[in-house]
Amino acid sequence: MQEQLVDLQNQAKNDLAKAKSLKEIEEVRTSYLGRKGALNNIMKRIPGLSPEQKALIGKLANKLKVEIDRDVEEAIKRLDLTSEVPLVMKGEKTTAQDTGGVFDLTLPGKRKPYGHLHPITQTINEIKRIFCMLGFAVEYGPEVEQEYYNFDALNVPQEHPSREDFDTFYLDNKLLLRSQTSTVQIRIMEKKKPPVRMIAPGKVFRPDTVDARHASMFHQIEGLMVDEEVSFRDLKFVLTSFSEIYFGQDIKMRFRPSFFPFTEPSAEVDISCSICNAKGCSVCSYSGWVEVLGAGMVDPNVFEAVGYDPEKYTGFAFGLGVERLTMLRYGIDDIRLFFENDIRFLSQF
Amino acid sequence: MKISYQWLKDYCNHNLSVNELSEGLTNVGLVVDTSTPIGDDYCLDVEVTSNRPDCLGIMGIAREVAAIVHGKFVVPDVDYDTTDENIEGATHVTIEEKDLCSRYTARIIRGVTIAPSPEWLQRRLQVIGLRPVNNVVDITNYVLMECGQPLHAFDLDRLEEKRVVVRCASNGEALVAIDGSKCTFTSDLLVIADSKKPVAVAGIMGGKETEVAEVTKDIFLESAFFEPRNVRKSSRKLGIASDSSFRFERHVDPECVDWASRRAAKMIQEIAGGKILKGVIDSNFIKQKKKSVSLRTSKLNNLLGIHLDKSEIKKILERLCFTIISETEESLEVEVPSFRGDVYREIDLVEEVARIHGYKNIPAISNIGVKLNRENKFDRVVVKAKSILSGMGYHEVVTDSIVENTQDKYAGIWSENNSIRIINPIRQDEALLRKTIIHNLLKVKKHNQNHGIDFTHIYELSKVYLGQKNGELPEEKECLCILGEEGFLPLKGIVETILLNLNINQALESVPYRSDLFTSEKSAELKLGDQAFGYMGELRKEVVHNYDFRNTPCITELDFNMLVNLANFKNSYHKAPSFPAIVRDLAVIASEETRWADIKRCIVSLKVNYLDAIEFFDVYKGKQIEQDKKSVAFRLIFRAGDRTLRSDEVDVYQETILENLKNSLGIKLRT
Ligand SMILES: [Zn+2]
Repeated sequence: MQEQLVDLQNQAKNDLAKAKSLKEIEEVRTSYLGRKGALNNIMKRIPGLSPEQKALIGKLANKLKVEIDRDVEEAIKRLDLTSEVPLVMKGEKTTAQDTGGVFDLTLPGKRKPYGHLHPITQTINEIKRIFCMLGFAVEYGPEVEQEYYNFDALNVPQEHPSREDFDTFYLDNKLLLRSQTSTVQIRIMEKKKPPVRMIAPGKVFRPDTVDARHASMFHQIEGLMVDEEVSFRDLKFVLTSFSEIYFGQDIKMRFRPSFFPFTEPSAEVDISCSICNAKGCSVCSYSGWVEVLGAGMVDPNVFEAVGYDPEKYTGFAFGLGVERLTMLRYGIDDIRLFFENDIRFLSQF
Repeated sequence: MKISYQWLKDYCNHNLSVNELSEGLTNVGLVVDTSTPIGDDYCLDVEVTSNRPDCLGIMGIAREVAAIVHGKFVVPDVDYDTTDENIEGATHVTIEEKDLCSRYTARIIRGVTIAPSPEWLQRRLQVIGLRPVNNVVDITNYVLMECGQPLHAFDLDRLEEKRVVVRCASNGEALVAIDGSKCTFTSDLLVIADSKKPVAVAGIMGGKETEVAEVTKDIFLESAFFEPRNVRKSSRKLGIASDSSFRFERHVDPECVDWASRRAAKMIQEIAGGKILKGVIDSNFIKQKKKSVSLRTSKLNNLLGIHLDKSEIKKILERLCFTIISETEESLEVEVPSFRGDVYREIDLVEEVARIHGYKNIPAISNIGVKLNRENKFDRVVVKAKSILSGMGYHEVVTDSIVENTQDKYAGIWSENNSIRIINPIRQDEALLRKTIIHNLLKVKKHNQNHGIDFTHIYELSKVYLGQKNGELPEEKECLCILGEEGFLPLKGIVETILLNLNINQALESVPYRSDLFTSEKSAELKLGDQAFGYMGELRKEVVHNYDFRNTPCITELDFNMLVNLANFKNSYHKAPSFPAIVRDLAVIASEETRWADIKRCIVSLKVNYLDAIEFFDVYKGKQIEQDKKSVAFRLIFRAGDRTLRSDEVDVYQETILENLKNSLGIKLRT
């Protein structure tokens, strides 16, 4: 009986090799595996066997069934390579001829898993896309930095509080973890002559105690444009254009004077609160405005530091917080969610 | 900085409502965070940026309001009557540290009556959140809030020898401050002392012993300029801060020192009675010249992208108390008032004009034109790799680069150097920059398992930070770390898929790799060609146990920049084959040590005609197979580019291959 089974497999292989169409393959399959097929005929004789024989033949028969099934599948694949017969969808029994059966059309579809990009990546990608339309190139810089790039070259005075150790992480050898992506401005300007138009996304670090609004690591995007005759007007144009695309045309943008060491004049930029329609709510501290970024005209001292002539060139820079924009956009109220990476959170974006 | 809406009106006449005022101030850079009604008044909380210490007094803010509304800025009158007694005979001031205290003034008011302040004064202080104490203390606070110059009133009788010495403390000297905190000094801290002992921490807080109390008759009124950095240092060191130190740290106006003293003396005389002694002690070591800065109208207009004519610019600057000394067709020579230490360059004047002109009046129009960017290959490879991973069901995660100190233990895959350490971490046990992302992903898996998700397919593309040479920046290695739950080969398949789709031709080699993280069997160093590319392995039992995982994940960490360098986006098209292939599925018996790579190499090296591809199926060990042997199943695909192959030709090739496998590797066809 064992031999019969082995023969059966070889025969099946041969028959399948000869089969030249789906229909023929299906015929071969039924003749071996069908209810009246050869395998079933053998199986019918099992009850009459000794217990050891029963177990052995049962096992072999099952294995045979699996193998013939595999051969059938292989044959179908081969067919696809060698003939014009259309490919059969795998995983679902096809009903080439109408059997009049009932198929439950309301069953749920079978889904493949799909992996999501982290919301921070999605925000960065979206912002990159917008600024690329405006001709800004994407640049990157190191996260471990020298004081020079994080402070000195950015016109941050020696005694400025941001240099203190509760605002910046320090490492050995006078190195630090950059506390802002503005460092990339300096590195790019050191390398390139104007015109420069770039954005630089990346991680920044600050020793803030972690809570719903603070993380010790977060992401910023720095922007810089330098050329002859770049003005505050251009800055307003670029940021307003960005806002129209990213936040939508209904959102108003407000520029108000502020202070940063590396820009002058400096501006903080607010957008009208979309949650309360600028009427005032807890998100906007009842002001109707939400701060989204800092910007300004590059300070002449910064140009001096990188060897640009501040009489010849002018430019603007801006920096925005990625987590903050993402939180505003999706109504996320706790920054820690970004770094917990709960799949149930990530799958929503 | 809190200000009172009503109080502000003392210095500038405006008809702005609270909302209009808030908006106006915000538009010139003084953001009004909140406005709270208190009685018939409002308390406005104004955010003052660090470059504008002149706005740390209500008068400073009034000056801005006057500029906004084109109104008049009114300075209170500080003339007063004095007694005939001269101050010189009544007290003596010695400045030992001229660098740390470059101006010190003192006035004496004799015969005051200490009592509660009048109602109006108390109310004004209360509106801005100050607690009234007594008339003299309240007046010093009032003047501080009015003009931003800190003042201190001592009880003259309590000053030993009625004299004051501004000196550095001796090590170990101590003082109980007005707020009850006990300060012990070191020799680098500046104190105000009498002939014996410190009586105040210079610029920060007075001492309890010499404070003005009910019994006080004579007042020693101090108004000074203390060096900002030193005040900040002392305040940090002693852990005390005050409204005074806040202002000294940000630089007070040296010219206001005497004005504030006069103002307070006059108010004390009017409210607390007593008589001001004739004269003042004014030790002034400041040699401040009048600053003048020139401003070109063309520079201003070009930088802002507007067209203001010279007269408009002049008006704006004058409204801000700048003086135009001279002018030409093209430019203005502007004298800067002493309280505007932040203005000393042309660009600073441009900012002043821009602020008052209004950012909202600068149009958002531009002709910046087109700029073409060179392709950023890194970004392109990132997008491709991530889209492949998304398609395979892997979620991207973002985790912290700063990790627990314990992670140093298993982190040696890229470098044996110690991890880079943060000197001032938030938590002492989390002070390292990661050298691998593996542990971060394991923690993410753990978090998800705790929330009922056992299978997390995740990856992170981010930096690890390797060894640090003196002074130089450490290597920041961009790594792609993937955690899968389907076993070693499926994970390897993902890596292969990424390589394939980036058109990377270098073969992926897997070499056995010993690691504390991975099982000895499934642990590989990956190479591309002969270059180190990364690591892959199945997590060791002990590690699985440590994390309390319910299943065993596999992890790989790859050098992403190698992918970026090798990726090829200029591959050319290959026509799909037009003739059918002949496929042979073989199962062979090989010794257990024989690797698939050996079998494949053996077949490939024959350079058999028409052999198009070799595809691996599976390895089987079990009952039907001899011990120490395994069955390896694979498929050979033969194809000719110009015709249909015949089965009998392929038989010959197949035979050659089997023959060779037998001779070189001792492999037999499974029968
Ligand atoms: Zn709102």
